[in-house]
Amino acid sequence: MSNPLRKGLVEERTAAACAVVIFGASGDLTRRKLMPALYNMAISRSLPSGFAVVGVARREKSHDAFRAEMKEGVSKFSRRKPIDSTLWEDFERGISYVAGTFEAKETYERLREHLEQLDKERGTLQNRLFYLAVPPSEFRAIVTGLQGANLVQPASREREGGPFSRIVIEKPFGHDLESARELNDTIGSTFDESQAFRIDHYLGKETVQNLLVFRFANSLFEPMWNREHVDHVQITVAEEIGVEGRGKFYEQTGVTKDIVENHLMQLLCLTAMEPPISLAADAVRDEKVKVLKSLRRMERGLVQQNVIRGQYARGIVRGDEVPAYREEPDVAKDSRVETYVAMRMFVDNWRWGGVPFYVRAGKRLAKRVTEIAIQFKTVPHKLFSAPDGGITPNVLTMRIQPDEGIALRFITKEPGQHTVLRDVAMDFRYGTAFGSNTPEAYERLLLDAMRGDATLFTRRDEVEEQWSYMDAVFDGWRAEANAPPPLYGSGSWGPEQADDLLARDGRRWRKP
Amino acid sequence: MTPAETLANIERDLRASWAPPTDGGPPKTRVCTMNLVVVAATPELADRYLPIADEVAKSSLARAIVVALAPDDPVSELTGEGTAICGVDEGPDTCIERVRLFAKGNMCARVASTVEALLVPEIPTTLVWLGKVYVDDPVFVSLAKVAQQLVTDSEYTSVANLVHLARWSREAADRPKIADLAWTRLAGWQELVARFFDDPKIEPFAQNVTKLTLRQASDKGARLGSEGSLLLGWLGTRLGWKASRLGGALRFRRPDGTNIAVEFGVTPRPAGVAPATLSSVTLVAEHDGQTLVGSLDRDLGSGLDDATKDADVVLWKLTVGDAPTNMHRVRFGANKGAKWLERTLRRPAGDMALMESAQFAEDAVEDGILCNGS
Repeated sequence: MSNPLRKGLVEERTAAACAVVIFGASGDLTRRKLMPALYNMAISRSLPSGFAVVGVARREKSHDAFRAEMKEGVSKFSRRKPIDSTLWEDFERGISYVAGTFEAKETYERLREHLEQLDKERGTLQNRLFYLAVPPSEFRAIVTGLQGANLVQPASREREGGPFSRIVIEKPFGHDLESARELNDTIGSTFDESQAFRIDHYLGKETVQNLLVFRFANSLFEPMWNREHVDHVQITVAEEIGVEGRGKFYEQTGVTKDIVENHLMQLLCLTAMEPPISLAADAVRDEKVKVLKSLRRMERGLVQQNVIRGQYARGIVRGDEVPAYREEPDVAKDSRVETYVAMRMFVDNWRWGGVPFYVRAGKRLAKRVTEIAIQFKTVPHKLFSAPDGGITPNVLTMRIQPDEGIALRFITKEPGQHTVLRDVAMDFRYGTAFGSNTPEAYERLLLDAMRGDATLFTRRDEVEEQWSYMDAVFDGWRAEANAPPPLYGSGSWGPEQADDLLARDGRRWRKP
Repeated sequence: MTPAETLANIERDLRASWAPPTDGGPPKTRVCTMNLVVVAATPELADRYLPIADEVAKSSLARAIVVALAPDDPVSELTGEGTAICGVDEGPDTCIERVRLFAKGNMCARVASTVEALLVPEIPTTLVWLGKVYVDDPVFVSLAKVAQQLVTDSEYTSVANLVHLARWSREAADRPKIADLAWTRLAGWQELVARFFDDPKIEPFAQNVTKLTLRQASDKGARLGSEGSLLLGWLGTRLGWKASRLGGALRFRRPDGTNIAVEFGVTPRPAGVAPATLSSVTLVAEHDGQTLVGSLDRDLGSGLDDATKDADVVLWKLTVGDAPTNMHRVRFGANKGAKWLERTLRRPAGDMALMESAQFAEDAVEDGILCNGS
């Protein structure tokens, strides 16, 4: 940074001037997440002075109509309400719309002319952040169109101090290793890897970021963060909701591709990784890739023993009766798609050799909770007797959502004449300690992308390693001739077989 | 009542706050991540600051200890009370603790040991000193020993006092780091002024400033306030300016020796707006035959309905040569005492830029610059 007035400034998290171009601007993501995030960034003065948002979508629409749609979305979904009309007035002056199909050359020609005009009028300095809020099937057309219209500056120009071009893409990054590679090749045909930002919004959550701080800024836990002291790790991503009208999408994905392959694997990486040499994007991502490479691949015959699928049947969630998955709209009556998966994974390296990582994700479970629980080994000698015949192990839990925080369970003596042991928990709640109006994940991630900081984005090799691991699981399922997954009652914690997975190892799932 | 008895009473009050409810209701939960010790030079000031201390203690999860001093009172006495304040984080049973101490006469000298006994151990302590700080005052010295951070407001003391305090803080490693509320209030201004030069093509203008105009909300002829002085100091230190006198008149020069015209003006002060509140900054710079004009104009008293009246909109404007003017509005946020203190607590203390800016301002301003421009 050479601006002398930026030196030593405490509040320096602003981005360089740029135009954010959103493909798929008519979609839900733009209205619900992206535009509210940008508006909140404007309120908190994180946006640069030279800034514009351009929506691109098929439907013909005036700038004003698009602005009105976005205002409605922001009013409804922004974390700050009501909308500040004074600031909105200025913010919406920077919003515009370009109509056109993603396949047509003319769309990109019009977009180029429009962006050049914005450079002059809004001082966006030829910097572009292309956000693809569209299905992956559209990526190729868009990337080709951008290249054809000369809208992408080479990464070398940015390194020389010239304008930047970056692309942000949303998951799914493919549906298997082959398609992920294809997708990455498509992006890579036009954009350098340093210009590609693959969003996993879980990584934008404060508590996920706090995992690194918790592990590497406290000397207390890291010495115990290994096979010598940890008995096992449980990672849970549980949702109460069903497919919520996304039956068609879910029929093609299932929970494994929707949650496990990306969010859950990322949580596992952050839990298991070695300390990076710095917080530079590639230093952190290198360590995550090492974890992914260390995951013990499942041979076909081992999948059944280590992976349990499930599908929700009717049941009661939060007191309401809910339908079975197969009764949801756009879901086949004989669907074999899994809405629950539990896995036993191993990270075969020096630190974690032999420590099982039990992970599970599911819909229509008893409670909405995402957490990482580190269960420590029990004491080597039982000095105290407890009514249940044993001392419960210490558990360190990092709750990602809701009630983000960290809890440590340990044993204490109940006051009295006798030695009666009791579990207690030290509970730190993020919201209570620091207030609950923290930035949304998309605010953080958009700002990072605008600043060119890729630490919280998934790199190509990470995505491919994730798919490489999961492909073996899918292969195992195919070998089982896609047997229908066992059913579990909505509102439960999954199928009984998942309990057996841990019971075989003499362990049990937490009930968070 | 002896100080020990007062202390015992406060501890009893606090214990009673946490007693399990007799009606079978849920027990209260205490949350505490820091000690916030607020010292006011008069009981009236302590009373006025109490709601602010409560609000900050609730948002920052602190045990608040509010101390009122009355050293000239003929009676020597130390009284106090402790209470739980609930409703933290929207939980009706989640509470923080607040202690009030009132020291009269010679008992002021015992305040520090009483406060120390009341601090929650193992968590950071911030001392907020309302009023001028004398580093040889034994009350201040003993309280400063238990704090890691000292917060003052140079608007109500002086930049000179801040410089003095910063020097004292640096003399020993175990002294608290200094933070200043006026400096926190400037953060938004600094960020927006820095934006004038973010574009790499425009950045050379930063070294070629020809004119600076600062305005504050006050009557003509008033002294330049702390916000204005610190902003001047910040610009001067970041851009390498030198202040000098010519026949007693103040001059500012760039590193290349060119004079910078600096004007200090005033704008009308609406009711409810603090005196000497910074209201506008304009920078003019010349480079390659082009002129840059960057301005920030604060619409004093334009706050949202649910905030205090001086939660203001600021118009940011930049014109470079013949290019179209880039302008947009931002809002500084509620200008409430509690909010500024909260923000100060969340910023790093001992900010070197503050120390350098205060020193520059003090050297230049000395016994005060009068705002005579319009």
